[in-house]
Amino acid sequence: MLLFLIRRLADGLLTMAALLTLTFFVMRLAPGGPFSSNRKISPTIRANVEAAYNLDQPLVAQYLRYVRGVLQFDFGPSFRYRDYTVADILLNGLPFSLTIGLWAALVATVTGVTLGILGALKRNSLLDYSTGTIAVIGIAIPIFVLAPLMQVYFAVMLRWFPVGGWNDGWRSLVLPVVALALPNIAYISRLTRNSMIETMRENYVRTARAKGIGRGRVIRDHALTGAILPVVAYLGPATAAIITGSIVIETIFALPGIGRHFVDAALNRDYPLVMGITILYGFVLITFNIGADILRGWLDPRVRHD
Amino acid sequence: MTKRPTALPAAIALALAVALAGPAAAQDDTLDRGIGSEWSSLDPHVNFDAAAGWILSDTYEGLVNYNGDDILPGAAERWEVSEDGLTYTFHLREGLVWSNGDPLVAQDYVDGLMRTLLPETGSERGYYFTSVVQVVGAADIIEGETDDPATLGMTAPDDRTIVIELENPAPHILNILGGAFSMPPLHGPSFEAGGMGVFSNPAQVVTNGAYVFREVVPQSHVLLERNPLYWDADNVQIPFVKYHVTEDASTELLRFQAGEIEITYDVPLAQMEALAQSHPDELVVSPGVNIVYYSFNLLHEPFEDINLRRALTLAIDRETLEERIVRAGATPNYSFTGGFDPDYDLPTIAEAAMTQAERNALAQELYAEAGYGPGNQLSVNIVVTVAEESVRRAQGIALMWQQVLGVNATVEPQERKAWLDTFYAGDWDVFADNLIGDFPGPETFLPYMRPSAEAGYNWESPEFEAAMDIAAAQTDPQARLDALAVAEQILLDDYIVAPIAILNSRQMVSNRVGGWIPSLVGYSNSQFLTLD
Repeated sequence: MLLFLIRRLADGLLTMAALLTLTFFVMRLAPGGPFSSNRKISPTIRANVEAAYNLDQPLVAQYLRYVRGVLQFDFGPSFRYRDYTVADILLNGLPFSLTIGLWAALVATVTGVTLGILGALKRNSLLDYSTGTIAVIGIAIPIFVLAPLMQVYFAVMLRWFPVGGWNDGWRSLVLPVVALALPNIAYISRLTRNSMIETMRENYVRTARAKGIGRGRVIRDHALTGAILPVVAYLGPATAAIITGSIVIETIFALPGIGRHFVDAALNRDYPLVMGITILYGFVLITFNIGADILRGWLDPRVRHD
Repeated sequence: MTKRPTALPAAIALALAVALAGPAAAQDDTLDRGIGSEWSSLDPHVNFDAAAGWILSDTYEGLVNYNGDDILPGAAERWEVSEDGLTYTFHLREGLVWSNGDPLVAQDYVDGLMRTLLPETGSERGYYFTSVVQVVGAADIIEGETDDPATLGMTAPDDRTIVIELENPAPHILNILGGAFSMPPLHGPSFEAGGMGVFSNPAQVVTNGAYVFREVVPQSHVLLERNPLYWDADNVQIPFVKYHVTEDASTELLRFQAGEIEITYDVPLAQMEALAQSHPDELVVSPGVNIVYYSFNLLHEPFEDINLRRALTLAIDRETLEERIVRAGATPNYSFTGGFDPDYDLPTIAEAAMTQAERNALAQELYAEAGYGPGNQLSVNIVVTVAEESVRRAQGIALMWQQVLGVNATVEPQERKAWLDTFYAGDWDVFADNLIGDFPGPETFLPYMRPSAEAGYNWESPEFEAAMDIAAAQTDPQARLDALAVAEQILLDDYIVAPIAILNSRQMVSNRVGGWIPSLVGYSNSQFLTLD
């Protein structure tokens, strides 16, 4: 187990190093630079600005300087947001993305699993059909269509919640969390329902029933543990994606998270911010992957790694 | 002690009541303004973006101030110009203080300019003092030749006097000294204590404008509060101003409709017509000092021929283009500089008075003269940014060239940073260009067309250079404008660019906001506004 862990960590570090190097050089291939802007600026002034950010040095020297910085947890200054370092921007934005993401993951899991179980237990009932319909709609209608509709109805017409921003405490959370959770609710409820129906047919569940155990206890103690496994498997990567910020949700609801930087930083040629975000995202993904591997080995003796 | 048990439920009830008492729609004492995407910097000597310029104009005051396009005394109560137009003397008001109570002295303005110019600041704004106006010694400091403040032609002989010496007369200097955009003062002690980070830290930053910083949340908002120590604080009506980041214009419009924002940054193009119907008195479309023109690549062989350049210029039906195709409310333009100064006798292309049918006929003649026709089709690419408005305009023009002349024109939209680089790489036939001016007058645009100033156009015109030199030496504003008109006519007669349109700013301004004056350069300080 320890050996496995060491090997995975070494793999992870190697992947990170490759990611960092590739991103650094590939990014520079795009035409345009961070300070190509208004042509009014004289070459001297532009040279001064570039020198202030060491952009006048050879690319390899810039790379070495950057790697040295990263090893000391210094991700450099942002070119676009000149009051802040990349670390400032990520640390400022991450709490917002995390808050929205964790709430959305929680809402999606609880609602999705509940709806799924109810659907499975009362198969072909009105409840089952209506959750099924809602799930299909939730999966089929893209969030960039649904979210503005929610804004128009709940914010502009009913005025229950703000349209966007982060100025109203919990009210500001409601629409983005629901919008982010909806597709996941739909997916999780379908997953739970199908898995639950499968599990209810399993021999061990039948045995339990035959022994005279009450229906409620069979579901709670026997069926549910088996039925929930695929949902847990789905939740790992889904949560990783949700908590690193959703560019669509953050743009539509004008939220100060880090999701929007994924695209903006690249468009602005804000090299250090692109690097910082890539490293953060890579780190989260690799960590979750290693975590998932360990968890799988622990849950299922057949995939132990020693 | 006995109070406790009753206080807790009461507190919970109160908290619930507060939480449920309807959305905390804009407190009545706060003006909520949209600024589009995130501000690039709150450092007054570094910021180079217009939206952040609004925040800084509310928080810092220059020597003069602007309301709409009127130039008002700011920190300086009066000023004099020397006979030769080369020396400006400003007299500061008595008793000016910074927001922390420190006296504001003339040297603070000199320090501010010094910081803007020094290479280690890395500010793009130095060009104001070397290109737009030429302050003695500014270029040497930018180039790193010296960092001695004694060499700079801006001095503070005493605490209330500032003297600015210019290398060439520049009557338009007052147009760039206002707001915070070019010459805000520097509060030395806080900067020395906190470095660059001080300007975005509300706890440390010291300002001298109508408002002070209360809250700065990156990607979210900046909250300003009225500065009680501002010299004109009695006339500042709105206690709080909050600038909201809202990148998506559609979201911003919804926020406006929900009452969360009173003044928006932009209006989605697709909503313009509906809003003109539904909110006619809140949709504010006003021209800005922002011109669009199409440059011809003089290094590409076909464009060496003036007949071809002229034919392409004439074959664009600008009215149809803006009113039917682009539909963003821009104004068709037949001059280069747009005529923002009422005292300027605006030159136009020679065919401006013709009907479009006459222009088309002439264009076809010139096109044939240049050697093109059905047997010899001209192919050009138009390089443009990916912005919807720009692409629509380019597609419209390509279609007109196709229909009137039979030109095979392809539109090549490029992402903004790539588009900027393409210009210098020269990999274009026609470049969909635009310039945003710093003040409402021809001189904000014309100097960039000087062959000596702008490498990218590859235009050679000793006549234009000579005319510009004559204009630059004039100290009398009207004589200067007349000389500039001569130069602009030379530029237009050579058809090196096809003027297209004057762009506007599009905003929603709530009926609750009073005192809103449309401004060509986009100044609209909160200190002059009221809120019902």
